[in-house]
Amino acid sequence: MANHAIPHHPGLIGTGPGQAVRRDGDASGERAGSGAATPAAGARVRRSHPGGHAGWLIAPATLWLFVFLLVPLASIFVFSFFTSTGHGMAPEPTIKNYVDYFEVEGFFDPEARKFLKPSVFLSTLGTTFRFALTVMALCLLVGYPIAYFLALQVQAFKWQLALFLLCMVPFWTSYLIRAVAWLPMLGRRGLLNRALVELGIVEKPVSFLLYSEFGYTMALVQLYVVLCVGPIFFSLAKIDRQILEAARDMGASAFQIFREIIVPLSLPGVAIGMIFIFVMLMGEFASAVVVYGGKISTVGTVILNYYTFANYPFAAVNALMLMVAMMIGVIVILRVVDIRKQL
Amino acid sequence: MSDKSLHRRGRTRRQFLGDSAKITAAGALAGGFPHIARGNDGIRTIGLAVSIINEIQGKASEDLGFSIRGQALGYGAMVGKMLNQNDQYEVAEGYFNDMDVMIPSKVWQPIDTQRIPEWEKVTDLAKTGRLTPESKPGQGDAPFRHLWLDADGNRVEGPSRYISMLPGWHNADSLGYNPEETGRPIESWAELFSEDFAGQVALLNAPQIGVMDAALGVEGLGIFQFGDKGNMTREEIDFLIDFLIEKKEAGHFRAFWETFGQSVNLMLNGEVVLESMWSPAVTAIKAEGVPCVYAFPKEGMRGWHGGCAISARAEGAALDQAYEYLNWWLDGWAGAFVARQGYYMSVPDNVQKHLEPEEWDYWYAGKPAAKELPDPYGTIIVPEGEVRDGGSYWDRFSNIAVWNSLMDENDYLVERWTEFLNA
Repeated sequence: MANHAIPHHPGLIGTGPGQAVRRDGDASGERAGSGAATPAAGARVRRSHPGGHAGWLIAPATLWLFVFLLVPLASIFVFSFFTSTGHGMAPEPTIKNYVDYFEVEGFFDPEARKFLKPSVFLSTLGTTFRFALTVMALCLLVGYPIAYFLALQVQAFKWQLALFLLCMVPFWTSYLIRAVAWLPMLGRRGLLNRALVELGIVEKPVSFLLYSEFGYTMALVQLYVVLCVGPIFFSLAKIDRQILEAARDMGASAFQIFREIIVPLSLPGVAIGMIFIFVMLMGEFASAVVVYGGKISTVGTVILNYYTFANYPFAAVNALMLMVAMMIGVIVILRVVDIRKQL
Repeated sequence: MSDKSLHRRGRTRRQFLGDSAKITAAGALAGGFPHIARGNDGIRTIGLAVSIINEIQGKASEDLGFSIRGQALGYGAMVGKMLNQNDQYEVAEGYFNDMDVMIPSKVWQPIDTQRIPEWEKVTDLAKTGRLTPESKPGQGDAPFRHLWLDADGNRVEGPSRYISMLPGWHNADSLGYNPEETGRPIESWAELFSEDFAGQVALLNAPQIGVMDAALGVEGLGIFQFGDKGNMTREEIDFLIDFLIEKKEAGHFRAFWETFGQSVNLMLNGEVVLESMWSPAVTAIKAEGVPCVYAFPKEGMRGWHGGCAISARAEGAALDQAYEYLNWWLDGWAGAFVARQGYYMSVPDNVQKHLEPEEWDYWYAGKPAAKELPDPYGTIIVPEGEVRDGGSYWDRFSNIAVWNSLMDENDYLVERWTEFLNA
């Protein structure tokens, strides 16, 4: 109960419980009575805003978000109920767009070819989801060891920093260049194929490397893995080495230490990293064109195809459903790992 | 001007205001900002990079004495801006296949041909669909089907005094192939589906155009006949997409390209041997030393036609300047500029005046190049003795199988195309 007193206190301003900001420092009495978990949080929050006018500080951001995020979002929501006229839209409310999005002709008809098949738009979303999950798992598999090495194996801080910056090098070039760079690597006449042929592993160049699910997944992992290395690295670096020593002294094996201490303490970083990657992947459409050769459709291309010839309401429905899917994904991740408790 | 026509114009504008109120917020969605006051010096024009080129609008500004600011956009952004922000341009360099969206929305004003002194010189390709008396008009959104309007901007059977867009640059697309890899000349769209090239074929990833090339291929195979490839029925779309899905699942397609550069790289890198292609891409590939031929399929080519339209919001001095700019396009200089990139112009007689005889013979007459020829920027791209693929202008445009089109069933087409990509 006491925990809830802090976020909802009128003296606190914030858009969510996690972002509670204290306006003044006079609530110490209340804090004393607010249970074990909050003093730390209160102290941290107060330190970052020493008695300032926090309300004014967030005003520009609030205004910005209102004008350029909430208003457009609200219009997209409203447009999604408009009627498409073939050359624009008319403000005649309809739910037809949503029906079209979900419904498939002959869905309940056992005779029909499309019996119990999800609509094209749902399956596009599903494909995107499937790729997102695969790539997230691979990113974790690749990224976690990197972060672990940086945070716990490298002892000197300056080396940690140097190696971490090295990890970031690919981010110094544009996203598109990093995607395009896969073409000379994976192509039929690419570096990899040439090596395979020279080494006598294959007789003639293989084509499954590029414009394939394999190449696409590889590229996505490379493009996004750093997004999870950062947060995991910071979570791991925060672990008090003395705890690990204590565990060792008490006879815990290396694996036990990893499983019982390191993994739980790094979960917030994992969750944040996974959220970053998930959100980016759901909106991804450029590398599908470049690396997958457009052989897959993404929600982005669907929206563009309907937008191009002025079916704005249906483009709006697709945009909203993508957002809903993203939100569900983020909520699920946050359910699995309670970041606030962990931090 | 009579009272009647003033009244009409007023009504059109009010109608438009109604429309624009509905979509004001859509403008914000599309990234537009509130109307920025502009100086009364000159006009703004928007379009694709095919016609919006610094050199062209720069030369026009120089010749006409007022500034013409061009903005080149991607296809989706271009159509979006043309439809939703017609206060942000005076001239729209659009395409006849978008007319089913543009004419009913009344975002453009009818162009009065009496203000186009060279109108008589514009060829019959755009006016009747027949460049020569023997030529076939072709299916789909041929310019002449969307050209003629009444003074209110409603479609009429032509010819009439008012037009939707002043016909300009155009071309006919087909397949590009690497003759060393295919081992035989490509003379039919059916080759797109030949087993010999399985896994080495690419299509253009735009549903409206991709299905057109595929439909030509299916007809070439002789397994299906479309009533009108430019306006397919749901059943026809179903047949075609089911066929394509089967092919895709068998791994027939290497990729679907979206940009000019992608289509060039696919062939340069040996990923494909045959693909739907735009003619300047063939030139670009040959310039890199890779053999590439532009096919001239016996079924005919797929045509497209651009031109200049005027925003319904343009009035007063800006409207006069817009007309001046349109007339400047017909003078021939711009036509000669785009000719060196392989595009044709609706007034070949005037273009000829601005081309050297050797250039005219190569680009329009289909004769071997009598000397090395440059692109618009002076780089030599045509070696002496080369003959342009596809024959003369008149050969090419006498045999248009179908024009790029926007079908009535476009939404259904996009849905099924999405399914095809996901297969």
